[in-house]
Amino acid sequence: MSTAEVSPLTTQVLNSSDGVPGARMALSLHRLDSELVIWTMLSVGTTDEAGRCPGLIRREAFTPGMYKLRFETASYWESRTQTSFYPYVEVVFSISEPEQSWHLALLVTPFSYSTHRSN
Amino acid sequence: MSTFRLQQLKGHISPENKITTMASLESPLTTHVLNVAMGVPASNVTLRLYRQDPSSKTWQLLNTGITNADGRYPGLITKELFTAGVYKLHFETAQYWASLGDTSFYPYVEIVFTINDPGQKYHVPLLLSRFSYSTYRGS
Repeated sequence: MSTAEVSPLTTQVLNSSDGVPGARMALSLHRLDSELVIWTMLSVGTTDEAGRCPGLIRREAFTPGMYKLRFETASYWESRTQTSFYPYVEVVFSISEPEQSWHLALLVTPFSYSTHRSN
Repeated sequence: MSTFRLQQLKGHISPENKITTMASLESPLTTHVLNVAMGVPASNVTLRLYRQDPSSKTWQLLNTGITNADGRYPGLITKELFTAGVYKLHFETAQYWASLGDTSFYPYVEIVFTINDPGQKYHVPLLLSRFSYSTYRGS
């Protein structure tokens, strides 16, 4: 995918415990196959130094439906020699208007997390 | 006093002679769902508690319930069933927003967490709005 194309779905992870971006966190994007009722993995990635993961999905592939972003938060905290309460965080969301921009932010500490949608 | 009458009195006093339900024993795991957009407890939210089978990794349904007027569901699990492991709380949040006449970004919310020490108390609340949610480990 060319760098000029921007994924219509973006994410950013923030480590609100240490006040830094959640860098080098593994994540994966999945879409629910509505007929088979199973999750299909669309992409995997790792957040960059800014806690972002560009190139999650191409606009053509971004059809309306139910998606899931899975963040490997426990591995992230382990790499910082910390235990955490959650083995991973999965955020399941519905995309009704794929022509819009969708930004999903995740703020994590070892014992809490919050997520919100913006664009 | 007759033996029968003594037995009756013993039954009133000794807790082990009472039939206890899940709701009357204090659950070591509690939750609280709050509608932070409107500043009210989220009542009538359907929830389900699962534990992951460590070998097969499949989810075993432990309990189903609905939050009360205070946004709580007492009696999630008993101390005996609360073993160390990976648990999941599933909240039917879109259903909740739909009952208020609203749409929501999330069809449901699932929170997966690890219980290492089941002797402790764990509080797993959910603070909810249509386009955000948060949770934390409390006690």
